[in-house]
Amino acid sequence: MSKKVLVVDDDPDVRSFVVTVLEENEYIPLVAQDGVEGFEVIQKDPPDLVILDVLMPRGSGIRLYRKLRTDKKFNKIPIIMFTGIAQRSFLKSQKALDEFKGGEVPKPDIYLEKPVEPEELAEAVKKKLG
Amino acid sequence: MSANKILIVDDEEIIVRLLSMSLRSDGYETVTAGSGEQGLEVFEAEDPDIVVTDIKMPGMDGLELLEKIKEIDPEKEVIIVTGHGDIDSTIAALQLGASDFINKPVRDEALAIALERAKTKIEIREKLEEYTENLEIKVAEATEEIRRKSNFQRLLIKSSTDAIVAFDHDWKVVVYNPEAAKVFGEPAKEVRNKMTIDDLYTPKIAKIFKSVTKADENQQIIQWKENVINTKDGRQIPVRYTSNVLYEKGEFVGTVNFFQDLTEIKRLQKELVQSERLAAVGQTVSGLAHYVKNILIGLKGGSYVVDVGIKKNNTEKLITGWETIKNNIRRVGNLTQDLLTYSKQREPEFEPCVPNDIINDVIVLVEDTAREKSIGISKELDSSLSEIVADPQTIHRSLLNLVNNAMDACLEDEDLTKKHEINIKSYVEKDNMVCFDVKDNGCGMDKDTQKQLFNPMFSSKGGKGTGLGLLVTGKLIQEHKGVIEIETSPGDGSTFTISIPLEKVKVVDIN
Repeated sequence: MSKKVLVVDDDPDVRSFVVTVLEENEYIPLVAQDGVEGFEVIQKDPPDLVILDVLMPRGSGIRLYRKLRTDKKFNKIPIIMFTGIAQRSFLKSQKALDEFKGGEVPKPDIYLEKPVEPEELAEAVKKKLG
Repeated sequence: MSANKILIVDDEEIIVRLLSMSLRSDGYETVTAGSGEQGLEVFEAEDPDIVVTDIKMPGMDGLELLEKIKEIDPEKEVIIVTGHGDIDSTIAALQLGASDFINKPVRDEALAIALERAKTKIEIREKLEEYTENLEIKVAEATEEIRRKSNFQRLLIKSSTDAIVAFDHDWKVVVYNPEAAKVFGEPAKEVRNKMTIDDLYTPKIAKIFKSVTKADENQQIIQWKENVINTKDGRQIPVRYTSNVLYEKGEFVGTVNFFQDLTEIKRLQKELVQSERLAAVGQTVSGLAHYVKNILIGLKGGSYVVDVGIKKNNTEKLITGWETIKNNIRRVGNLTQDLLTYSKQREPEFEPCVPNDIINDVIVLVEDTAREKSIGISKELDSSLSEIVADPQTIHRSLLNLVNNAMDACLEDEDLTKKHEINIKSYVEKDNMVCFDVKDNGCGMDKDTQKQLFNPMFSSKGGKGTGLGLLVTGKLIQEHKGVIEIETSPGDGSTFTISIPLEKVKVVDIN
């Protein structure tokens, strides 16, 4: 059975691109346009993988990422960060948050900086889901 | 020194001896002479303190001796012994400066009194001399002290880095230090004690300082203010200045002005602004690059979706992909227009237009997106506001910009229980301004964000904003002689108000 992949991104252009890539590679795409909606979808219909943007209104990707990684129910779901933010900046923000809140949230499984070629994205998903 | 040595001159030897004896017994030292000539010799040899001389003598008489003695020492006390009733000689002796007269025959008491008087006079004169001498020393000391003090003050004024100019009560320049010469470009010798306030200052500056004396005596000091001095040699010098009115015992005696040359400070400020602007340009470019990258991502993604649509003959994919591409072409168009608007000075194109119609047009443009994001849009339009003369483009673009920002502010809001709402209002204020309010109940802004709103490069939207929107809106409204005002509070939302001058359409009477 095909695996489900959730795309969380506020940009409809990005959503339609990722959805098309997923369909082309025979995954079932789920979509959400912000962190809050993303978490609702995950609770209702847990996906096999999440492709997550960082900067979004209403519950940023950073917040959703840390929520998923610290929730026992969801911390096994692999996450691909898919964003225009440089990886270095993202990791720095995580480190700062770790220090502030205590504990350590693991690094994302895969970090992709936009723009990416469709093949690159498909490969990243395949690497995690087979 | 006490007057003790007395010269007695008389041609009658007996009288000389009697007087001498009598005086010696009173404790005086005496020297004697039997004629005027001898008297003068003894006087020169012995230097007596007091001379007692008979007036009538053969040869050199008393008057002549008196005259000679006074020639040698005008201060010398000479007592004249006169015959009874010899008024002419007495007057002549007085004229020659005799100190006292005693009549013949000489009585001891009369002589004693005359000698006492002479002695007192000598003492007084000696004391007076001493006082005068002391006084001279004291005056010299005081003068030196004053000179030192005034020298110190002169140096103080001279070396001051402030330009100091003081005027007397007739507004003549009395103090003009080297720094003042630098600022005003006139050498001190041309100014001090020669020019008046009206010669030195331009009328505008002169008026400021002259007006101060009219003020209350307690408020004679004016606060530091800034102005520009136009020098006679054509330079413009930015200065800070203050002035103090001088009173002496309640009477106006003059004015002193202090100037600080701000040229260097202004230059540094300008440099700072310039470097800040350069930094801002750098940040704007980096923000723009980010924005352009996002457009590129959209275009690439869209073309991939179109490719898939073509390959699979999937119309739905074709439409989605094509929409994405069109959407991003529109973004490029808007960006280009914003950049052009911001970089060029543009004159508003005034024409008759109906503001409420423009608001309706803007609402039509954003309605779909708003509905999709569950943001309500409402309007309160002033129905009395009909046709006005304005640049419809300016109003349209500014309102669209503000409404788009308002939507973003609603989307940024963390309070998800809120029903988000944007309200657009038109109204006339004070009969001469047309106002538009764009009000949202989104996230609002803190003071820092508010401060940076009209900075180029500033965007609170991450990579999704160019940082040009409000900048362009601000510029358009400014060119239209209008203003933008903001009221905001974090968590409650913001209201942006645009006010432009109300210009009614003139009805042309064809007849």
